[in-house]
Amino acid sequence: GPIWSMAANGTGTRLAIGCEDGSVKIFQVVPGGIQFERNLDRRKGRVLCLSWHPSDTHIAAGSIDIFRMIDVTSGQTVQRIMVNHQVQKAKRDCVVWAIALLSGGTVVTADSFGRVQFWDWEQGTLAESHTVSTSAVLSLAVSEKEDSIVVGTSTGATYQLQLLPVKLGGPEKRWVRTKPFQHHSHDVRAVAHSPTALISGGLDAQLVIRPLMEKMQKKGYDAVLRKFTFPHRRLVSCARKARLLLFQFSQHLELWRLGSTEETGKDGEVLPLCRMPEHLVQLKSKGPEHIYSSCVSPCGTWLGYSTASRLHLYRVCCDDDGVSLRKVPKVPKLLPPAYQLQFSADSDRLFVASARGAVHVLQLLEPGGCKHLHTLRPPSGCSEAVYLLAPSADGHWLAAVSGDWAIHTYNLKCFKHHCVVPTYSCAVTALAIHPSTNNLVIAYSDQQLLEFSVPEQQYTAWSRSVQSRGLHRSWLERDSPITHITFNPKNPSHILLHDTYLFCVLDKSLPLPDDSTPLMNQSTLKQLPETARKRQLHAFKICKKFQPLLFMDLLDENCLVVVERPIMDLKTQLPLPVQQKKFGT
Amino acid sequence: CRAPPAGVPAACGWRGVPGAFPRGDAVSPRRYLLCASGDFVKVYSVATEETLRLMGGHADLVTGIQLNPHNHMQLYSSSLDGSIKLWDFMDGIPIKTFTVGSKLLALYTLAGAEDSVFVVIPKKGERDTFQLVSVKLTKGAGQDLEAQEVSVVLDGVGASPKHIAFGREGEYVVSVKEITLQVYFFKRKLLNRFSLRAVKTKGGDNRFSCVACHPVEDCIATGHADGKIRLWRNFHHKKEYTYSTLHWHHDIVMDLAFSMEGTRLLSGGVESVLVQWHNESAWQKDFLPRLGSPIEYISMSSDGALCCTLHSDNRITIINSNLRFSRSIQGLIKSRDIKTGLVVDPRTKALVLNGEPGHLQFYCLQSDQQLFSLDIVQRQYVHQAGLQQSDLVKVAFSARGTWLATVEEREEVTDPELELKLWFYDEETQSFKLNTRINTPHDNHITDMCFRDMDELEDDSLILVTTGRDCVFKVWVMVEDTDPEAQQRVSWSCDFVGSYHNYQATNCCFSEDGSLLAVSFEETVTVWDSVTWDLKCTFCHPPGNIRNICFGRLTCSKYLIGATDYGFLCCWNLLTCALEWSAHLNVVVLQPDPLSEHIAAVSWLSKESSLFVFKPNEPRPIYIQRNLCKEKILLAAFVPRDEPETTGSEKYLWLRRSQLFFLTDTQELMTLSTKSLEERLTPSSKQLAVEESLPVTPFSLLLGKHRRQESQEEIDLGKLVVHNKHEQASPAVKELLHTPAHVLPSASFLCPIFINSLLISKENKSAEEVADEVDMESEKTEDDSDEERDVTEMEQEDKSHMELLGEMTCKLSKSQEKELRKIRKVDYSWISAF
Repeated sequence: GPIWSMAANGTGTRLAIGCEDGSVKIFQVVPGGIQFERNLDRRKGRVLCLSWHPSDTHIAAGSIDIFRMIDVTSGQTVQRIMVNHQVQKAKRDCVVWAIALLSGGTVVTADSFGRVQFWDWEQGTLAESHTVSTSAVLSLAVSEKEDSIVVGTSTGATYQLQLLPVKLGGPEKRWVRTKPFQHHSHDVRAVAHSPTALISGGLDAQLVIRPLMEKMQKKGYDAVLRKFTFPHRRLVSCARKARLLLFQFSQHLELWRLGSTEETGKDGEVLPLCRMPEHLVQLKSKGPEHIYSSCVSPCGTWLGYSTASRLHLYRVCCDDDGVSLRKVPKVPKLLPPAYQLQFSADSDRLFVASARGAVHVLQLLEPGGCKHLHTLRPPSGCSEAVYLLAPSADGHWLAAVSGDWAIHTYNLKCFKHHCVVPTYSCAVTALAIHPSTNNLVIAYSDQQLLEFSVPEQQYTAWSRSVQSRGLHRSWLERDSPITHITFNPKNPSHILLHDTYLFCVLDKSLPLPDDSTPLMNQSTLKQLPETARKRQLHAFKICKKFQPLLFMDLLDENCLVVVERPIMDLKTQLPLPVQQKKFGT
Repeated sequence: CRAPPAGVPAACGWRGVPGAFPRGDAVSPRRYLLCASGDFVKVYSVATEETLRLMGGHADLVTGIQLNPHNHMQLYSSSLDGSIKLWDFMDGIPIKTFTVGSKLLALYTLAGAEDSVFVVIPKKGERDTFQLVSVKLTKGAGQDLEAQEVSVVLDGVGASPKHIAFGREGEYVVSVKEITLQVYFFKRKLLNRFSLRAVKTKGGDNRFSCVACHPVEDCIATGHADGKIRLWRNFHHKKEYTYSTLHWHHDIVMDLAFSMEGTRLLSGGVESVLVQWHNESAWQKDFLPRLGSPIEYISMSSDGALCCTLHSDNRITIINSNLRFSRSIQGLIKSRDIKTGLVVDPRTKALVLNGEPGHLQFYCLQSDQQLFSLDIVQRQYVHQAGLQQSDLVKVAFSARGTWLATVEEREEVTDPELELKLWFYDEETQSFKLNTRINTPHDNHITDMCFRDMDELEDDSLILVTTGRDCVFKVWVMVEDTDPEAQQRVSWSCDFVGSYHNYQATNCCFSEDGSLLAVSFEETVTVWDSVTWDLKCTFCHPPGNIRNICFGRLTCSKYLIGATDYGFLCCWNLLTCALEWSAHLNVVVLQPDPLSEHIAAVSWLSKESSLFVFKPNEPRPIYIQRNLCKEKILLAAFVPRDEPETTGSEKYLWLRRSQLFFLTDTQELMTLSTKSLEERLTPSSKQLAVEESLPVTPFSLLLGKHRRQESQEEIDLGKLVVHNKHEQASPAVKELLHTPAHVLPSASFLCPIFINSLLISKENKSAEEVADEVDMESEKTEDDSDEERDVTEMEQEDKSHMELLGEMTCKLSKSQEKELRKIRKVDYSWISAF
């Protein structure tokens, strides 16, 4: 039947799976897959949650109204405990949504009555019960030291429970509900407890990292609450020449033609459109699989997407009366399929990022065909998949980032590995190759920016000066990473960057700001006279007026396309949150 | 002479922490509730709500009371006068007095600390900075001891007793102030300081309001200004401390208390709801709602069976452990604003004034109890800041108390919502019944209201007059109800509307026989015939609006008295229609005695209130009491005595038939009394502990009185009086008493000794001089010099009862001293009274 729960043991060698029919199955984890090992004792009632004992001897399995303790070696149920024994008249079922087995033999259950209960499973007795919420507790995570528990509820609140001494310095300890956090508006479906932070994610499509202040050594960048709403991935691709935008949704793609205007106007004006934006085509992916990545070629004639199992390639034909898509036959079956797709600038090649550091190059053939040209691999081999690609505009170079954060550059003329950018201890969030200088600009997750000259195989002088000066503190303390980099063809010293909240033009010709001057100075600059403005100028020109930015690209010399995704749009699509009475409303 | 009336609690007096309920001794299972009230500590019986004992002895406000942790029959009390007293509260006897020296703002005791207590004192040299110090109580013989060993425990603590709490077994002390929490561990000498965020995010306000400690676990509960309760744990770590939050109150948490086992936490605030939290869980809580008024303090009894809440309207509620209301102890209810004035109910002789919001309280002066509370507004009171609520503004009784007129008003500046209600006293139900309700009787605020006071006449001659700021006065009369379906015989309707030059009507008053009505219109007093409603004559004393008017009574009924804003008291003769006399006096209150021709006027000048009693037919007052109190007296009332007092001296003849009560702006109720305080107290609150009890004979009473006077002076004059005075003065009397009767010399020999002992000794005299001097100074500030001569005489009489002169000693100048000496030569005349 359907699988309701899954849990790996402490060493990650075995996987337990709880099913609808009440059975618990054990799988061996082998390289590249799992292997069925045995069935454990089967009882009625779906198994909603599972937890291994740290020593792998027992499994706790939560079900409706009860939870069970299963001995792994014998496969027998050794204890069965009713969780709402004391609430005899309860009409509703008490669903054990989450369970955790502590090393000391305590079982922690979180149930739909909003309780977090602590049981001594050998005695079958309830040690403590904490009603943390009036609504269901859905998720639970225990810290490694087993002195703190975080639970998530269906009202969007997370609570921390701590094991604290009853008397200062005394041996007796008790679990106490301590801090409530309300960062979500909907169900908190998953929580995790890192040594220094509580991490929660829920139905409201947000991932929240809440650092625990008391574990932090100093107040600083790490001790700040982080919220992630948007994936740090490119979901929009743009065909510059054809002025098309491709939007990737989880189950379908949408292709839009941009509107255009002939007018010009002042700052802040909304120009009238002479051609309305046009929804050209909606492409639904087949089957239940989610779309993993997608891309449209710069000329707008090719469109590709990949799901978990295969790669799809289409040819877009624009006629007078509409747009038709033609599927490209005989796309080579690559396993596993693409993590990232990227067309070359002249739209005759498709780069497919694949597992083990490999990049496949497909040659696109008119009128609608393709063939596998070559596979680029790092010379030393790599276990991680490639997740970012950046081809150069002249078709000469390709940069690929794999999961181990190594950046390999390839020479596409001879399909040879060119060089490795010196590795840095952070993930790469965006990279691009400058069209004229072939400098590779790399943005890291710690907000560092580096420029690497691909032909010369070394960092550029500007990059070295940035490294020696250091970037502005408020730039480094932003919490959303740069997700896209482009260049201004008119002015080669301009680099255009954006993250979720800001758009930045980085002018390499201007001096870098130091920490004493404000980073955001555009509004003050406007008021200054010309001479003073010159003195105040620095390299970072930042615009923050956008609602969450998904994508930004330069179409041509004086046309920039920006894709916003207002949070309210997302929220209206969410299901209704749990009704709560709020005082004073 | 002035004394707070015994049994009438000063409304502002509940400032001390109520002590825990001590258990009675093993023999009698009675329990007591101790409460600091003004300068006194009161002992109530929990079972009967009665005031058992009133323990006085502090010279200033009692700020904290705590049971002696080593002897539960003893009580420590601290006061602003800088002393800690140890009492045996069963007998009401002060055992010891420890003088600390500086103001004591709060008191704490610990079971672990053998012979020291903790007090909060102001830090020397710094204003508004307070420190918690431990005071070692020296074990010396004798009653009065100096507490010298003082060591500072915590600096920068809050001044309120609620801001400090001692933890489990006295291992640590917690203090909260603003947004900082300090924990000091005694054994480890470790001070931890935690701060909350100061900025008010999301409407939160993190400032601390109170603190309580878990009795068995290491857990601190703090209340906050935004209604949150935080439970702190692990606070011995500087970093890894943690707290959880309970939130129900929507406004400031006034007090917190843990139960004895710590499983329950009680919290209270302005919502007048007592909340009981179980096991520190945010979801398990019980409520005891509708406690009437904001909760100020919560106290648990030592066995956990009872708890009591102290309310801002001067009431104690005793609550069972299962959160059931048990009983309440209430005296005069403190209202937000007394708008009705002090009115005497002719039927019960009770004082009637604003009580709970929208209610009228009937307060019995004799028993210090509320007789009943009449709901006038009859609307649910919602506590919310800024919400305009209807409240009672005027009240009037008819002469025999059968009719009650009330005016209620919604506090709005423009277009007030007014309602006039007339209530009839129902003999069967023994309560007032609503008879007529008149919406918008005037177009603007009603300024005054009175019934025609005619005892002998029938009901249908009853007339009610209201004056309003809409420039008219209206006369309301009873009419027979012709509608057969009407449930009542009569109802009220408007009979006459009078006005004068479009001036605002401010006061109204009927003459004693009811034939004349005086209505004041700003600067003018108009007199109307109450039968024909003709304007008879007008009086005016420009400049200044008329503040109060009243008619003289009995022999003086031909006079009309008025007080103006510019400080003139005028007396007009109604027969000649001329000004009889006028005096320059800033009269705040003008109150005629209904049973005599005396009129009491209270003036407010240079931050003190003075009382003048006069008869309208003579311009010089018959009684003057300067410096009646430091607070502004807002209201006064004459309450008829049940039986005329017999023992009053000549100066107090005007007090024979009725007693005068005052209400100050801090809502303290005071009275003038001819007797000293101790005479009025119940015999249980005797001052002297070590004296043997005397057989009750007229002679011993005389001696007792004498002795009490002395001790009274000792207290009154504070540091001025040398402490050995008592020992000096008493030998003659002691000798007299201790010598067996058969060896006593003849009475003629003893008499001079006895009389001499009654005379005021030398040390005492110096204090008296000071007293006189102060009075003279205050007189000079006023300019009615014609009174000065008799004033000095009177003051001489009163000095034995003078109070609170301690700080004024240093103002003597040479010339004044000379003047004083002159007076001293003539001032033995009062001995003739004996």
